[in-house]
Amino acid sequence: MIEELAGLERQALAAVREAKDGGALERVRVRYLGRREGLVSGLLRKLGTIDPADRPAAGAAANRTRKTLEKALDERSRELAALAEADPAHVDLTLPARRKWRGTIHPVSRVVDDIWAIFRSLGFTRARGPEVDTEWYNFVALNTPLDHPAADEQDTLYLAPGLLLRSHTSPVQIRTMERYPPPIRIVAPGMVYRRDTYDATHTPAFAQIEGLVVDEGVTFVDLKATLAEFGRRFWGPGTEVRFRPSFFPFTEPSAEVDVKRVIVRDDGSRETTDWIEVMGAGMVDPAVLENVGYDSERYTGWAFGMGPARAAMLRHGVSDLRLFYENDMRFLRQFA
Amino acid sequence: MKVSYRWLRDLAPGFELTPGQAIARLALRGSPVEDVEDLAEGLRDVVIGQVLEARPHPNADRLTLCRVAGPEGEVPVVCGAPVVHEGAFYPFAPVGAVLPGGFRIGKRKIRGEVSQGMLCSESELGLGEDHAGIMLLEGEYEAGASFARAAGLADHRFDVEVTPNRGDLLSHVGIARELHPEGQAAIELPAFPLGADGSGGGSGVDPGFARGGSESTSAGVGIAIEDPALCPRYLGAVIRGVAVGDSPRWLTDRLRAAGARPVNNVVDATNYVMLELGQPLHAFDLARLDDATIVVGRANPGEALVTLDGEERSVTPEMLMIRDAHRPVAIAGVMGGRDSEVSEATRDILLECALFEPKQVRATRRALGMSTDASYRFERGVDPTTMETAVRRAAALIVATAGGRLDGEIIDACPVPWKQPRVTLRPGRVKHLLGVGFTSGEIVRLLLPLGYEVVEQAGDAGDALEFLVPGHRSYDTLREVDLIEEVARAYGYDTFPEALAPFRPGTVPDHPLFQLEDRLRALLAADGISEAQTPALGPAGSGDVALLNPMSAEESALRRDRLTGVLGHVERNMARGVRDVRLFELGTAFAPAPEGPPAESARVAAVLTGRRAPVQWSDAGDGFDVYDIARVLELIATEVSHEWRVVPCGGAGENGPELPRRVGGLFVPGRWYAVRGPGGEIVGWGGEIAPAAMDLPRWAGAVVGAEVVLPDRPAPKAAATASELPGHPASQRDVAFLLPVGAAAGDVLRSARAGGGQLLEAVELFDLYEGGDLPPGSRSLAVRLRFRARGRTLTDREVDKAFRRVLTRVKEETGVEPRS
Repeated sequence: MIEELAGLERQALAAVREAKDGGALERVRVRYLGRREGLVSGLLRKLGTIDPADRPAAGAAANRTRKTLEKALDERSRELAALAEADPAHVDLTLPARRKWRGTIHPVSRVVDDIWAIFRSLGFTRARGPEVDTEWYNFVALNTPLDHPAADEQDTLYLAPGLLLRSHTSPVQIRTMERYPPPIRIVAPGMVYRRDTYDATHTPAFAQIEGLVVDEGVTFVDLKATLAEFGRRFWGPGTEVRFRPSFFPFTEPSAEVDVKRVIVRDDGSRETTDWIEVMGAGMVDPAVLENVGYDSERYTGWAFGMGPARAAMLRHGVSDLRLFYENDMRFLRQFA
Repeated sequence: MKVSYRWLRDLAPGFELTPGQAIARLALRGSPVEDVEDLAEGLRDVVIGQVLEARPHPNADRLTLCRVAGPEGEVPVVCGAPVVHEGAFYPFAPVGAVLPGGFRIGKRKIRGEVSQGMLCSESELGLGEDHAGIMLLEGEYEAGASFARAAGLADHRFDVEVTPNRGDLLSHVGIARELHPEGQAAIELPAFPLGADGSGGGSGVDPGFARGGSESTSAGVGIAIEDPALCPRYLGAVIRGVAVGDSPRWLTDRLRAAGARPVNNVVDATNYVMLELGQPLHAFDLARLDDATIVVGRANPGEALVTLDGEERSVTPEMLMIRDAHRPVAIAGVMGGRDSEVSEATRDILLECALFEPKQVRATRRALGMSTDASYRFERGVDPTTMETAVRRAAALIVATAGGRLDGEIIDACPVPWKQPRVTLRPGRVKHLLGVGFTSGEIVRLLLPLGYEVVEQAGDAGDALEFLVPGHRSYDTLREVDLIEEVARAYGYDTFPEALAPFRPGTVPDHPLFQLEDRLRALLAADGISEAQTPALGPAGSGDVALLNPMSAEESALRRDRLTGVLGHVERNMARGVRDVRLFELGTAFAPAPEGPPAESARVAAVLTGRRAPVQWSDAGDGFDVYDIARVLELIATEVSHEWRVVPCGGAGENGPELPRRVGGLFVPGRWYAVRGPGGEIVGWGGEIAPAAMDLPRWAGAVVGAEVVLPDRPAPKAAATASELPGHPASQRDVAFLLPVGAAAGDVLRSARAGGGQLLEAVELFDLYEGGDLPPGSRSLAVRLRFRARGRTLTDREVDKAFRRVLTRVKEETGVEPRS
């Protein structure tokens, strides 16, 4: 009995020391000294069942234990009260964090950045050119005679006869090659303009990004390899990339690049999309190289063009292109 | 190009692709199908019904009471047609069927008689205009069978995207040739006249040709070509005694399946052959051609003609006309004239099958602001080798459907006989461009099915191959590289390996303006501002760079600045109830130039309005003010150049004569800053936007905005030189300056800095106080001055001395004294 009491006392004192607040302390008191369920009280009730000769000693021991525990509880309670008083700047960490406005980068810029990051790792630099350009740079130098139906594919906004808003970023190809000798390895992001009215998939001004590689020994195999590598990196693991014949006046052979993406949903399920057309590409037409004074027998090249806004639509599940240019704060702030 | 799948199948015996396979193959060949229409879909519920019994409705004169055998046995049907043949077959819509227009057939009682279904007219099925009578089906059918299948209407219509270089795909033969592995060799044109279902038929017309140069005559009709460069060949067939009327059902069905509208049997025949072979044709009413003469020549000045669409067209001498003895009767390759149009009164016709030079047709139709099926094909190049087939087929079809007979030989004026182009191909160049080597034999095998023939004698260019280009590719395959593309296409783009090759670094440096823009973007986003993007098009103001051909007044000029565009976004956001707007934008501004292109400059613009921080428990929720835009300007200026300074501009009243015109009135007077470059030039501006400059709701708070012109090619900023950290303690002195009305805080701070000399490490403005016991309008500026020396601890005496120097300097330069 006395040994049992000693054991209980040790346990109880430890529990008192560990109690971190008034509530916990009260629970310790009830557990050991509670009138009905308390462990010490329970032992006291068993006094009648032991040898009468041992009863006085056991009773005294039990009282001592109770007194010791009461004293410890009292002390700990004062201690806790003192602690609370000693921390006048008690911090309530459940209050919301202090917030500042968070700025966001436009989703289309972000796509351009991501495209650039991939091409940068493949040895590309960035080039730029004017948004107002001449028919020579926008069409003729790019092997697109104005009397050919191919010139209709892009309905162009004019400022004056011969002077236009570039309908694609491809004039940067010409301007760059005029200024620098091969090897050329550039991407050219920028705004381009078409005579389109606003609808869910058209705006009169939109972003485009162009790529150009010219050097000795550059082939269609390089084009495929580089753009397939880009496609898989940009569109994510599991992406399939497909090349289809197409026509652009400034490339030959020309290709349309399609991707089939794997979309991983929030619940972990996967879905493979249909083929989606994401860029145009091709081997630079020798006529284009000759137009900038490059020897087309010695140098070959490839080029691509894609629309970052369309990529941003696919990436973020945006079904109306106009949202990107309305600049509603509630829309833009979703891209934090 | 709208294509009927069944038509394709009928042109190439052994064509076994399903619609889905054909679509996939077209995509991989470079002509993706943009849209597919299942033509039988609307007719899904319509079946063949046989009328077993027909008698007049007892209670109505014009109705017929029928017993119709359909899919579920015999049912009573009340029919709106007065004449219904017993034993005949009709399209039948049973109860529950939905017709193409969405009309659902129900069980009805009509004048006391039960009707369980409907016998349909052409118009009810969307098959024609005829709604007078129900559609009688000729031949024997199984009652209850699918009507669409039994009537040969089960078909798919593809809308094929044809690139501008592939004029040869603007026909069913062209598409079938593209789809079939054997190419042209697989094509077999069915002969006319065809049976009711469009198949079979006897031998057609097989006339000879009256060959001539610039001129030729037959059957009393003469054709002369005055401008052979623009019209190398003109064929004419004279058919006399035609009866113009409706085309047979198979023909109208086929035209509709390919998206064309039937007109009459003569016009339908020309359209049919155009859709089949790609050769545009035109039929003239021969009686309307003066002197039965055709002259292909330029328009005379001041001439005009009314075209088939009823428009009067003024034509110019640059345009090529088809003329009779006196006047233009058609615009060559574009559209015929109304005056010589085939009509029901027409007995004799002249069928035109000509070749026109693509650029001429393009220039003419553009000048006239029109585009037709014919001009579309001529612009993209019509196969010169198909002409004879086309004219014979069209003549045969007209004779088969409109009667009459071909008179004489086909008139063939051909001043410039077609010469088949030859293109030389070096196998080494194929590898050079494509990265995969092919032997001569492989190249020949790849190109043969596309119609290219190799010329045996390869000439003296080593192993070079010389190819003859087929007529249908003769506009596009002109150079070696064009043939190499054909090799790549035939080989299959997907067959090429994807081996990443080593590369040399390029010679083009990464453009520094992109780098600066990247940094600004990150900097401003980190300051809590969101990036916007605005098209550089806006409404035209005076002096703006205007567009020649704008789409709308709202987008008719180029923006001269970027700030006003961003302010427009604030207005739009506020109109939607969004009060907290923080936007920046990077973009181009366009300034008019006296000559040549406008001057472009890269800009960054920013705008702030609403609360300075999100609503929260620890914050009073102050709104943005002009000092916030000062910070944004400082962020930008510091990022661009160490030499750029943000300076407050003007007292009250002065409002920046140096500012760009548009921006000048934008700010509240006395509440704006300029960014000045090293030469004092203004490169940016920002401040509180004048309320009159914007259209804002009454509850809107202050709006502050800024714009900075970025250098075209920013110079790299010099790397910062690190200074050693101080090793000795600093001493501080606090002082409150009393600023009278009109004194500038900035002047006091500047004088304080100047007065402290080398020992003064920092001047910190830590409080600004006004009101209370201060004289009205004056402010108390609480400043902490921190003094420190390198290598030693300052004595109190030294600090006091320096502190007094500061006070003296401030007093001398600004007249401001510490508060006593």
